[in-house]
Amino acid sequence: MHKEQQRQYNVFKADKQRHFNEQKLSTNMCCNHNLHDNDAITEKDLQPGNTAPFFRERIAGMQFFDPHVHMTSRTTDDYQAMADAGVVAIIEPAFWLGQPRTGVETFRDYYSSLIGWERFRSSQFGIKHYCTIGLNSREANNEALAEQVMELLPLFIYKEGVVGVGEIGFDDQTAAEEKYYRLQLDLAKEAGLPVQIHTPHRDKKRGTTRSMDIAIEQGLQPHMVIVDHNNEETVKEVLDRGFWAAFTIYPFTKMGNQRMVQIVKQYGTERIMINSAADWGISDPLAVPKTAALMKEQGISDVDIRLVTYQNAITAFGQSGQIDESDFASVKEIDQSQKFSGNTVLRGGQQPRINKDSLIIQ
Amino acid sequence: MYPYNVQKLVSLLTEIIKAQVDALVFDWLMQQPSFIDNVAHLNASFAAMPRKTGKAIIQLTQEQELAVQIIRPHFNINGWRMDRLCRVWLLLNLPSADEDRYIRTIENLFLAAEMHEQVALYSALPVLAYPEQWRKRCAEGIRSNIGDVLHSIMCHNPYPSEQLDNSAWNQMVLKAFFTEKPVHQIIGLDERANKELSRILSDYAHERWAAHRIVNPLLWRCVGAFIDENLYPDMERVAASENNLDREAAVLVCRKSSYLPARELLNKSVLLQSIKDDTSVSWEGIAQRAAAAV
Repeated sequence: MHKEQQRQYNVFKADKQRHFNEQKLSTNMCCNHNLHDNDAITEKDLQPGNTAPFFRERIAGMQFFDPHVHMTSRTTDDYQAMADAGVVAIIEPAFWLGQPRTGVETFRDYYSSLIGWERFRSSQFGIKHYCTIGLNSREANNEALAEQVMELLPLFIYKEGVVGVGEIGFDDQTAAEEKYYRLQLDLAKEAGLPVQIHTPHRDKKRGTTRSMDIAIEQGLQPHMVIVDHNNEETVKEVLDRGFWAAFTIYPFTKMGNQRMVQIVKQYGTERIMINSAADWGISDPLAVPKTAALMKEQGISDVDIRLVTYQNAITAFGQSGQIDESDFASVKEIDQSQKFSGNTVLRGGQQPRINKDSLIIQ
Repeated sequence: MYPYNVQKLVSLLTEIIKAQVDALVFDWLMQQPSFIDNVAHLNASFAAMPRKTGKAIIQLTQEQELAVQIIRPHFNINGWRMDRLCRVWLLLNLPSADEDRYIRTIENLFLAAEMHEQVALYSALPVLAYPEQWRKRCAEGIRSNIGDVLHSIMCHNPYPSEQLDNSAWNQMVLKAFFTEKPVHQIIGLDERANKELSRILSDYAHERWAAHRIVNPLLWRCVGAFIDENLYPDMERVAASENNLDREAAVLVCRKSSYLPARELLNKSVLLQSIKDDTSVSWEGIAQRAAAAV
């Protein structure tokens, strides 16, 4: 151990004992990779931390696809936790960022970031990032702006890795929302892209029915439409009419995962998929792997778990022609041409891990 | 408008594309220039390119690679994906007589570009019309944090060395070291070396040393011509490195230096004796071995 590190360690230790009279400091901070003569980062620094959450052993080896998660609002810690828990690919729908935009340029920059920076950021954690592009229902109510955004959308929906038009639909169920919902359905139909429908929090059952009615009126096939944020009250009609039923596992306001297990037991796995819709609110980017672990514990087969936490989403959004499962592996590949800190191979531009239990930051 | 024969390049690239895509895809691509006046159509064709052409790496014969270089020196399409090549091909078909419109159309593509589109756009800089009009755009690209985008500007791309002023050039070279790019693939690295850059890179090396981090030996290639009493202590330190590649870099610098103490260091330093007369030592060799050592 370096003298300076030893000194800081001693100071910290004494401090801690004086104030808290606790047991000695975790040995984690003496972890080897803090102690090299230079700070050469090695493959070891990429490995998951050794304190795995309790549920992870139940889903060891499983792969997950989260078809609705707003990574723009999440941290790098979330990306690492998701990768560690087996999430290999995600879809980030365009949505409301928490406050209304005031100009078309900020929409353009947002869409650009979904296909640019955020996709790149995700790849640094070995997670393949797709997105859906659309004008969300809340901001459809600013009609002057919505008109300009509609002109912008064709520039983005044909981009590589755009797997649908979304998330669109109803919030308040106003006339303006309906207008831009219909126009975007037309756009999706013309481009041959799936549609990701956000169903409203308030007056949900009626809003869901109406969303499907309008999709049919605009000439979309139910198999091209993923109806999101379902619950026990909406699922039957969605499945009976041939649409895909997505469930958002989101604390307090949407589904809990115990309820989700019951739904799979009752309705099976056909055209059902699970997502986290994690965003700027209190939400959980590990909702998909956690729900898989709970299903496993409660006797649902591995085959069925795979369908609702991975395969069905790929089948549905893969109708865009933009999802290639071999990309999930290649985003994790070791790129021998990439170097980090001078002399060490890391996987293609991947972020090195830090030891969060260490006092020393290198 | 174009400082090289653009028609010849378009014909050659057309031939390369034709041999490697399906007939239907090729027909689609050949139709695109007739709609190119319609900006919305151009935007859609440009964006949808990988959906049409696929993303396979193109195959080039040595003759083809050479033929490209004869038409446009240092322009290098080796290792490109087909969609990247076809996107650049599409840009080469844009009408360029109206300068404002031409620049506005391409700038608009930059503004909404995803990663692979950015890579295609930045790699097109050396073959676009009005080369002096893209300097700010190129400098903006160097501010990117996306590895592939930086790579497309820094490596095998003759535009920066031909067009950037010293401050943008220096920023690019420093960032190439900083982001661990294969700096030996920068076109014009030796020709554009300058005193200010050597000072910046020396400072950077000192920062790395202070943090107990490794310094890329190729850094001294850009510093060598400007060794003076201020930079000479750096050379002493590099010559005394336990890393062979550092010592080889010191030999290469000292051999060519016009600063007398640096030339004397070759004989003075015990550690340099075994390699000081070795004619096989080269910057390219250091770059290859540094890459292989990882």
